[in-house]
Amino acid sequence: MSIAIDTELALLVDTGTAWTKAGVIGRVRGRWRLVAHAAQPTAWGEEELLRRLVEQLAATADARLTGRFGELLARSTRVECRTPARAARLAVVAVSRELSGSSARRAAEAAGWHVTEMVTLDDGLSLAGRVAVLQSAEVDAWLLAGGFDDARSARAFEAAALVAAARRPGGPPVVWAGSNVLAADVIGLFEKGAATAVTNPRPDPRRDEPAELREHLQGLLRRIVGPADEERLTPVALPRAVGALAHATGLRVLAVDIGATTAMRVLADPDGRVESRVHARGGLAGAMLLPGAAGRIVRIDVDAGDEPAVADLLHNLHARPASLPQTSEELAATQAAARLLLASLVEDGVGGPLDLVVGTGRAIAAAPHPGQAMRMLLDGVRPVGVTQMAIDAGGLLGPLGSLTDAEISEGLTLLADDLLVPLGTSVVCRGGDPGRVAMRVTVHRAGWPAHSPVEVRTGQVQVIALPRGQEAELTIEPANGVTLGAARRSPRITATATGGVVGLVLDARGIPIGLPRRADDRRAVVASWRDSLMREAPVGAERVA
Amino acid sequence: MTSVVHSVRLPIASTPSVKVGARVQPEDVLATRRPPSDGVTLQVAAALRRPAESASEHLVARPGALLQRGELLARDGRGREVTVPQACLFLGYDPDHGTALLSPLGVEEPIVSHVRGRVTRVTPSTIDVRVAGAVVVGVAGSGAAVHGKLRVAVHDAAEELRAGAIDSDTTGRIVVGGSRASAETLTRARAMGVAGVVLGGVLDKDLRDFEATQARRREVGGAGGDFSIVLLEGYGKIGMDPGVFDWLRRHDGKMVSLFGDDARLYVYDADEPPTRRLLVRAGDRVVGTRRPYAGAGGRLVRILGGLHVVSSGISARSGLVRFEDGRTGIVPLANLEATEVAASG
Repeated sequence: MSIAIDTELALLVDTGTAWTKAGVIGRVRGRWRLVAHAAQPTAWGEEELLRRLVEQLAATADARLTGRFGELLARSTRVECRTPARAARLAVVAVSRELSGSSARRAAEAAGWHVTEMVTLDDGLSLAGRVAVLQSAEVDAWLLAGGFDDARSARAFEAAALVAAARRPGGPPVVWAGSNVLAADVIGLFEKGAATAVTNPRPDPRRDEPAELREHLQGLLRRIVGPADEERLTPVALPRAVGALAHATGLRVLAVDIGATTAMRVLADPDGRVESRVHARGGLAGAMLLPGAAGRIVRIDVDAGDEPAVADLLHNLHARPASLPQTSEELAATQAAARLLLASLVEDGVGGPLDLVVGTGRAIAAAPHPGQAMRMLLDGVRPVGVTQMAIDAGGLLGPLGSLTDAEISEGLTLLADDLLVPLGTSVVCRGGDPGRVAMRVTVHRAGWPAHSPVEVRTGQVQVIALPRGQEAELTIEPANGVTLGAARRSPRITATATGGVVGLVLDARGIPIGLPRRADDRRAVVASWRDSLMREAPVGAERVA
Repeated sequence: MTSVVHSVRLPIASTPSVKVGARVQPEDVLATRRPPSDGVTLQVAAALRRPAESASEHLVARPGALLQRGELLARDGRGREVTVPQACLFLGYDPDHGTALLSPLGVEEPIVSHVRGRVTRVTPSTIDVRVAGAVVVGVAGSGAAVHGKLRVAVHDAAEELRAGAIDSDTTGRIVVGGSRASAETLTRARAMGVAGVVLGGVLDKDLRDFEATQARRREVGGAGGDFSIVLLEGYGKIGMDPGVFDWLRRHDGKMVSLFGDDARLYVYDADEPPTRRLLVRAGDRVVGTRRPYAGAGGRLVRILGGLHVVSSGISARSGLVRFEDGRTGIVPLANLEATEVAASG
């Protein structure tokens, strides 16, 4: 007598511009678990991806299903998200580089646009030069900005006229984000339906209010790059998943993704507020665009090699975004670049303390050592206070976010054990005098004898083993002039730390991280920080640097 | 013989001067345009005898409009008119001074083909030219379009292009180097009138030093003519794919067009160059794309089972490669590209 064996599988796929990540979810002893995972260059195609997953399933799953995995995957529930294959290009034309231009540009970049042309009336070009630049522009939309609200700025109108002169009738849409009283006149420069007006991000010299412009540009971008299946676009799906995570856990969550070409940050509060920003050129391929990137990388990482080699590497990351660092120098330089990109992603702050920082994308979530992932998140984000750190190692958050709201919540619950890999908890303080104690931290663990407080000096990192699944109560005594972000009423702060594959990290290196001026000292200090985070520590011991 | 389509984008307000079916040479003009020149002002309020702040009500052209010589700009309804003295873009009205800002169109400029072929499509924004030959697409480049005869100046794909290889015979040529060229070599090439250079790789530092030298020369008016560089493999000292190098050597002396900014090389009357496939298979002839095997050609002996931890610590699907330079190494498959010689090649 033969018994028919069957199973139910779900295939979660996150297709990036350079790499595709896929996970197979199946029932293991009555629970939904991640049973296979593969990542490969997107250009290798779906057939190869499925072949890899079938190989993994054949090696680990019930032998009675052997030979049927291809068929099972073919009829599995498919949940997927994708990054738009190409970045939408935008020309920004504004009155001033520092005010209207910078506000417009930042809003556009945070909405995921690639600003290919930036023309301002104070850019030093001649009028002919400006018109020539704009007439040669190949863009998907035009963004015009200038003039404060309630003022009829002739200069702002001139900027709009430049675009009217350079744009082909029937060409890409125009967004006016300048003086409100000029809106009707500017819209009248273009054919009917071509231009729309949004709230001025610079209503006066002292206010910068880019939120509405950013939101408008996000919507416009979605219409241009992904008119169908909008909910499957990663810039839409990931914020939905992170929002649901914040709601379900009651935590304030920051998710950061440094991809091959794009970067994204999602900030979600438990009350349902979600803010996301996509930087079309904020991924590793865009690292070469950061000012002085090669020199900065060599300065912050002792293993990255010399500056000319790092400069070459950054160009090659741009030229071949799906390739992998094969040497330790290239890995170190790539991860240092990711730290700079992360810092750039959160440079305008996250509006208060964070409870959980999640690293997604292969640069962080697929780092060979969890200490490297922790180092990228810690150095890049600098989350002041007590923060849980985790990575989305399976690349599941994005695909989950393409489901309905109810299904996302259900997915988060079902995949609780596999969704995020906890790295541990960080305690990051700001301030303090060099070499002096910045904070004393007492760690209370259930079933462990009480230890004397750990003293962390300014400029030091200490790691205390706290395995995954364990919790510890912390009593933190910051020194005078040292803060953990929030105002304190008592000299002692208590907090709960959750464990992870790295542990509890006590970080008194400051914000931004202070580095010694002398090269030899800097190298020694940076190496000690790296070693502290990378060393495997026995439980109960501290790693000090 | 193979052929490819080269698209020339036309700026707004260009006038095509060729028709579909026309045969063009690299130096032929495909279209012309009159680029706008620096702004001039034109009295409007005074001419209409109106206050500066209210004369804008009488404008009949809207900002951004292209006006032909003598075309009406403003009219007051009582017989007074303002016309533009020459073809121009109307860019705005200054209510403080009562003047219009105009950008007169300059002298006609040609939009040159830079390729040899037959025109297959003409639209207001693009002209397509079918080129009888092949195209090689690099990973990076810089410089304007140039054309000339191909000159292979090194003996093998991994050899560095030295300054000594640049002589009077290379003037006006597109020179093929190997693994890199120093800033000095590039400077000498430009000084000797070389039209362009095709390399496997170049150090970012050398390229920046060369560009800085050129910028200084331009400032003192010493740099003339266009010069283009295309990299086929990447940045650093990276040899050219030996298969592509051999193909270029077979076409030594042929006419080529080099587009540095687009990283494209058109070789006329050439067969298909070796192509690249990203998903490699055991037995393929492959080229490494990252250090320490960037640009090295070899044979993928076998693909290892499961994931392999390479020296950086990354776990990746990897393969054993026997390189033509004598090295044998385990390389992530993501860092390999298979090279395939076209059937006609």
